[in-house]
Amino acid sequence: MGLMGPMKRILAQVKKELTQLWRDRLTLALAMVLPVLLLLLLSKATSLSVKDIPVVVQDLDKTPMSRLYQEAVGASLSFKLTALPPNVAPEQALLKNQARSALIIPPGFERDLRRGQNTEVQWLIDGTDANTANVMRGKAAAITQNFTIQIQPVAMQPAVRPQIRYWFNPGREDLKYFGPGVLAFGMAMFPPLLAALALSREGELKTILQVYVSSITAFEYLLGKIIAYTIVAWGEWICGMLVLFLVFGLRLAGDPTPLIVATFFYLLCNTCFGAMLGAAIPNQAAAIQATQLGGFLASFLLSGYIFPVENIPMPLRLLSNIVPMRYYLEVIRDAFLRGGGWAGVWNAPIALALLGGFFFWRAWAVMKDMQVKA
Amino acid sequence: MQFHGLFNSRLWSLFVKEFHQIRRNRRLVILLIIPPTLNIILFGLALNPTFENLQLGIVDYSRTLESRELISAFGEGLVFQTHAYYASTEEMGAAISRGELDAGLVVPNDFADKRARHETVDVQLLVDAVNANTATISGGYAARIIASFNQKIAQTERRRTQTVDPVTGAVSLVTNPAARAMVTPRLTLLYNPGLKSSWFITTGMIGLLLVLQGSVVSSASLVREKEIGTVEQLLMTPAGNSEIIIAKVAPIFLLLAFDIGLALIVARTVFGVPLRGSFILFFLAASLCVLCGIGLGMMIATFTRTQQQAQLMGFFTNPPLALLSGATTPIEAMPAWLQPITAINPVKHFAIISRGILLKGTGIKVLYPELLALAAIAFVMVSVSAWQFRKQLK
Repeated sequence: MGLMGPMKRILAQVKKELTQLWRDRLTLALAMVLPVLLLLLLSKATSLSVKDIPVVVQDLDKTPMSRLYQEAVGASLSFKLTALPPNVAPEQALLKNQARSALIIPPGFERDLRRGQNTEVQWLIDGTDANTANVMRGKAAAITQNFTIQIQPVAMQPAVRPQIRYWFNPGREDLKYFGPGVLAFGMAMFPPLLAALALSREGELKTILQVYVSSITAFEYLLGKIIAYTIVAWGEWICGMLVLFLVFGLRLAGDPTPLIVATFFYLLCNTCFGAMLGAAIPNQAAAIQATQLGGFLASFLLSGYIFPVENIPMPLRLLSNIVPMRYYLEVIRDAFLRGGGWAGVWNAPIALALLGGFFFWRAWAVMKDMQVKA
Repeated sequence: MQFHGLFNSRLWSLFVKEFHQIRRNRRLVILLIIPPTLNIILFGLALNPTFENLQLGIVDYSRTLESRELISAFGEGLVFQTHAYYASTEEMGAAISRGELDAGLVVPNDFADKRARHETVDVQLLVDAVNANTATISGGYAARIIASFNQKIAQTERRRTQTVDPVTGAVSLVTNPAARAMVTPRLTLLYNPGLKSSWFITTGMIGLLLVLQGSVVSSASLVREKEIGTVEQLLMTPAGNSEIIIAKVAPIFLLLAFDIGLALIVARTVFGVPLRGSFILFFLAASLCVLCGIGLGMMIATFTRTQQQAQLMGFFTNPPLALLSGATTPIEAMPAWLQPITAINPVKHFAIISRGILLKGTGIKVLYPELLALAAIAFVMVSVSAWQFRKQLK
């Protein structure tokens, strides 16, 4: 019977928060619409696989063999070739951003090959965008190799031939990787924002003083707020999943339970994070800024959203361990692509629960502290 | 003439007032120094597409000298790190499913036999393609490793097929001469030979920072007047509306000009980003970028009544501004319908300009279309929002 009192007070708090949000239609609409808009706009925008990279070709040989090489380059979907007259310096095209790479086939290309002499083709690659340059370098090498094999007599086939299978994502589509990523990103931004605003508003308007004099404890008050905004976060998450399913046609690859369990802890953890900031900062504008720094910047940079976490240099990489999105990304990407189930991701919900617990404890400690001071 | 002088002095005193107000605002001054420095360093370090130590699993059904030679070829570079050996493909497949491996190599049991008969052997490479970019790059590296392995074999075999004619004693090659001919690509990386991604990221980030800083500072300073109600006091003064706006914006502009230098110094000292073109041109383009940011901030200020709302607007404008700019990912990789939209993003144009000036050393002859675009965006944003704001002042 002793539990009934606190339960009743927490539920009343949840109900009060949700009613308040329901009346504030503008904020409610923003909370539901903004994540979906972000998802629609950005999930296709973050992609690293460049197709049809513009390449200018300067063919100084002009023979059937040099044309065969160009065909081989053009046939791979990665490059789009444009001819460059012989009197123009190929670097000019790169300087003017007309091309990302210039291919120069030397005079005597066919003659040398017919005589059985090795020959070189020159690829000038714009290294400004390091990642795309790296991909271009690999493709140029692979195409040239295949070309060499193609012109060899049958007897001289290579000793070892790699057969590369791309698992889980044979088309190597970026959308399957970044779409769920944007959803995780949105959930790292909006739920903490709403929670932080709800708490710092009470601090700013001093309505928190009414709470202090009422019978509700800091723990119950905090838990009520967090439950209310976690429910809102679930609403946002379901909208986001609907977009991924219906608009982008993505499907879950296997057992959905790891995703659901991890989502439960992730949304809770993010709401606790926002509550912690909101409790500590009794100024709405400053609280928004802090959420932006912790939610947007830390998640964007340190969670592995664009490039894998393993690529971050060492002392900085340790910081990524306290970014919740880092764990959730592993789970949601696994759920959409690999379908590996619990075996690979069992530790993510635990880490999220621990982080969430820490944020809640900090928020609670700050609230109790302020209550004493007030 | 007298009127003109009076006009000038009134504008001047307003300007001085605003300047001191901003200067005394300790938080704002910190905001102008700490986030840009931190952002450039963090972005340059954290967004890193250099792939090293990709975890490689191995199933060696052959267990021969020949197969071990191939496996050791994979271990030689920095790219792949042998994670573990597995007894069967299924076992390794399970490890890939758990996300422990980035790629797996399967050497068939007839590897040595086929090598002895000089037949082509197919080895399987299983790549975890959950991350398409990592998969493409690791597949490319694996293909290059096998190619150089083949080249080595071809060279040793060529030596072996050199035979001595028993009658004449002359050394001759048995292989068909045409078969030896190889095309090798000579790959030259221009402008960024070390493929440092920090050079790409920081040159893009500078523009984003200037726009974001400009919008945050200007929207905060305009909305604060609205919020506290001091706008009415300003309206009481004999100063005209445009004077109020100019006096508000000019000091912000001067303070942010300081950020341009700061960003460039951080990029140079921390990442060694070169300055190969004209500094004056860079500064001019960056100033236009700051103006775009101020215009955006004023626009936000016209739509909102409180600082809180202004910041919430920022929450929605910033991610698209950052992600639809080509500052971190290539624009060419975006879907075709989205690419034209990036034309209205000042960060996009400035990224092209700053990469042109800093990395490629290009000048105004090449970059003028981007400069014009940036100037046009700045002009439209500042004038539309100034006009809107003036209407609201009345």
